Amino acid sequence: MKRRIVQGLAATAATALLLGGCGSGGEAAADETLDPDAPVTLTVSVWNLEGTPEFGALFDAYEAAHPNVTIEPVDILADDYPTKVTTMLAGGDSTDVITMKNVIDYARYATNGQLADVSDLAEETSDLAGLDAFDQDGSYFALPYRQDFWVLFYNKAIFDAVGEEYPTDLTWDEYAELAERITEEAAAAGVTPAEGQTTYGTYQHTWRSTVQAIADAQTDGDQLSGDYEFFAPYYERALELQDAGATLDFSTASTQKISYRTMFTTGQAAMLPMGSWFIAGLLQAEAAGETDVDWGIAPMPQAEDADEVTTFGSPTAFAVNKNAENSAAARDFVAWAASEEGAKAITAIGVVPSLQSDAITEAYFALEGMPTDETSRAAFEPDEVALEMPVAPTTSQVDQILNEEHQNIMTGSVPLEDALATMADRVQNEVG
Amino acid sequence: MASTTLDRPAAAPRRGGPAGRRPAYVNRRQVRRNTLLGWSFILPNFVGFALLTLVPVIATFGIAFTRWNAYAAPEFTGLDNLTRLVGDENFRVALVNTLYYTVGHVPLTMAASLGLALALNRKIRGLAFFRTAAFFPYITSIVAVAVVWNMLYNPSQGPINQLLTTFGVSDPPGWTSDPTWAMPAVILTGVWKDMGYYMILFLAGLQTIPPELYEAAKTDGANALQRFRHVTVPCLRPTTFFVLIMLTIGSFKVFDLIVVMTNGGPGRSTLVLSQLIYREGIVNGRFGYSSAVALALFLLVLVITLLQYARNQRLET
Repeated sequence: MKRRIVQGLAATAATALLLGGCGSGGEAAADETLDPDAPVTLTVSVWNLEGTPEFGALFDAYEAAHPNVTIEPVDILADDYPTKVTTMLAGGDSTDVITMKNVIDYARYATNGQLADVSDLAEETSDLAGLDAFDQDGSYFALPYRQDFWVLFYNKAIFDAVGEEYPTDLTWDEYAELAERITEEAAAAGVTPAEGQTTYGTYQHTWRSTVQAIADAQTDGDQLSGDYEFFAPYYERALELQDAGATLDFSTASTQKISYRTMFTTGQAAMLPMGSWFIAGLLQAEAAGETDVDWGIAPMPQAEDADEVTTFGSPTAFAVNKNAENSAAARDFVAWAASEEGAKAITAIGVVPSLQSDAITEAYFALEGMPTDETSRAAFEPDEVALEMPVAPTTSQVDQILNEEHQNIMTGSVPLEDALATMADRVQNEVG
Repeated sequence: MASTTLDRPAAAPRRGGPAGRRPAYVNRRQVRRNTLLGWSFILPNFVGFALLTLVPVIATFGIAFTRWNAYAAPEFTGLDNLTRLVGDENFRVALVNTLYYTVGHVPLTMAASLGLALALNRKIRGLAFFRTAAFFPYITSIVAVAVVWNMLYNPSQGPINQLLTTFGVSDPPGWTSDPTWAMPAVILTGVWKDMGYYMILFLAGLQTIPPELYEAAKTDGANALQRFRHVTVPCLRPTTFFVLIMLTIGSFKVFDLIVVMTNGGPGRSTLVLSQLIYREGIVNGRFGYSSAVALALFLLVLVITLLQYARNQRLET
């Protein structure tokens, strides 16, 4: 009888697995026409709806412009988002619009044929920053609505207190010198955020992109190439800053899980290279009365011989699910979000839209709490935004290796040259 | 099962034993009821165990020989995953780190928990308080433990290094931010967290030792150390064996502590096998290779546990 029960359980388990694996919806008709008045409930996958105000802003504006449409967000925990969406798409889920949190996942879904082709919509647009990242052999399966890029945030109060001029167009060497100078001057002048704390000239966050992605963007190097000599000058500078005490050291920052936000808003760092998403965070914190830091933005520091402003960033996009229940309505939403109207909706809350025009920049800098100086405006329009990490099937594996060796370099446990050689070795041997 | 008993009445008496002894009385309904009752008691647990543990464990043995991303049909690849395992630098690093953790964690935890148990196995004031205090780390959330210990380990401002500096250590270790010291730091935290639980087991073991043995030893002139070596240690052997097995298995599959404290870093200095399994399977979607690593870990634990059993058997005879 024992055997029978085991067999029974095995059969039940097998059935459950089959049922779980095989649910799949039918293919949606791509040429379905859109009736502008028929009531539609559009489902959109999002992460952390509560903490990501851009979604609410977009949905409200779209619903206001399209009274027949009701948007139903499918809220997913931010950390689980890629896994959950992968599972949903593989299971044939019929959520209409899928938000592409990063380009790496996008490439995977597009290659798997899980997203509808929106190349025709892409052709109609122009000035969409970050659109190139979604080019899959000439076809587009998503349209970016938001494009973040890195700028240099600075704390005006600290600059004033030590009598330094606000940064405008720094080279990396000037940036490093400035950071060291401010640290010394602040200590000498007794400028401290609080008793017993230090004001650092800058804060370089612990992410590997702080060093590696900017090196990739500003040199000929490629983070997937397996040859990492081009990281060397950028690492030398980062280590120098750390040794000089001009930034909080990597070991402390990583083991204490220091938040860059706290470092900047409490005046512990005079400068902070960071993504433009931090603007929305600062505006929100100011509006809520959590901080009164007087800040401005400048372009990222550049290489010595650079004649244009190059930084890096990553776009966020909407895609139409191939199994979408309302694919025509979904296409309309995706196109709208990338249009001027969509851009205006998210600009209103300080999020940087993909669509770039003078009108948008104008609206952006008219926001309450935004710095109004010319440098900040210039910083907002970099000449070139490189993709933070190139997209390929090997990306996530390379990312892991680069991250591990980044820790080894920044904690000072492996000499730079050795770590770069190991990095190259590991990428060439382990990835594939 | 009901039908088995009814259809084959001849089977029932045979259950009594090989000699064909008939049980004193056979009330089939009674037997059936008892069996059903027994099954019903373990059923809720067994269903959960079977669906969530047994089936996946057995499946692992099959998946380890395939290439599978959890969505497409698995593709049989023979021994590919295992050959890859042999040449995989990440696997080698994780294996060495796992052994390092085990070799450090098992004896230290045993010594600490036995020490605590001996200290708290006497009538002292506030006994309940001290026992509770020692047990507390075990029931504390691992995330809280990791955050607090990371603060203590802070290389520049942490209390541990400040204490070391005042005692004249000029270059105190970097703990979790230094690849050489990260593993010892994690081991120490692990010992601190686990010792309370094993202390309870040792305490229970100590209570079973008859006081007469100690009295007799005393009468024979044995000092405290001799009484410990020749009375306590042998009498505790069943407990020690159990603790050893549980600790070893627990150390080999350490995961949460590492993930929240160092996440395998700096570099790969604290990357352990279970973390590699998670990374390969859940993060990279290579369930075939991930299962192969899991299989290797399973075999490793199995062999070591069997060796420990064999040793215990030898000591018993």
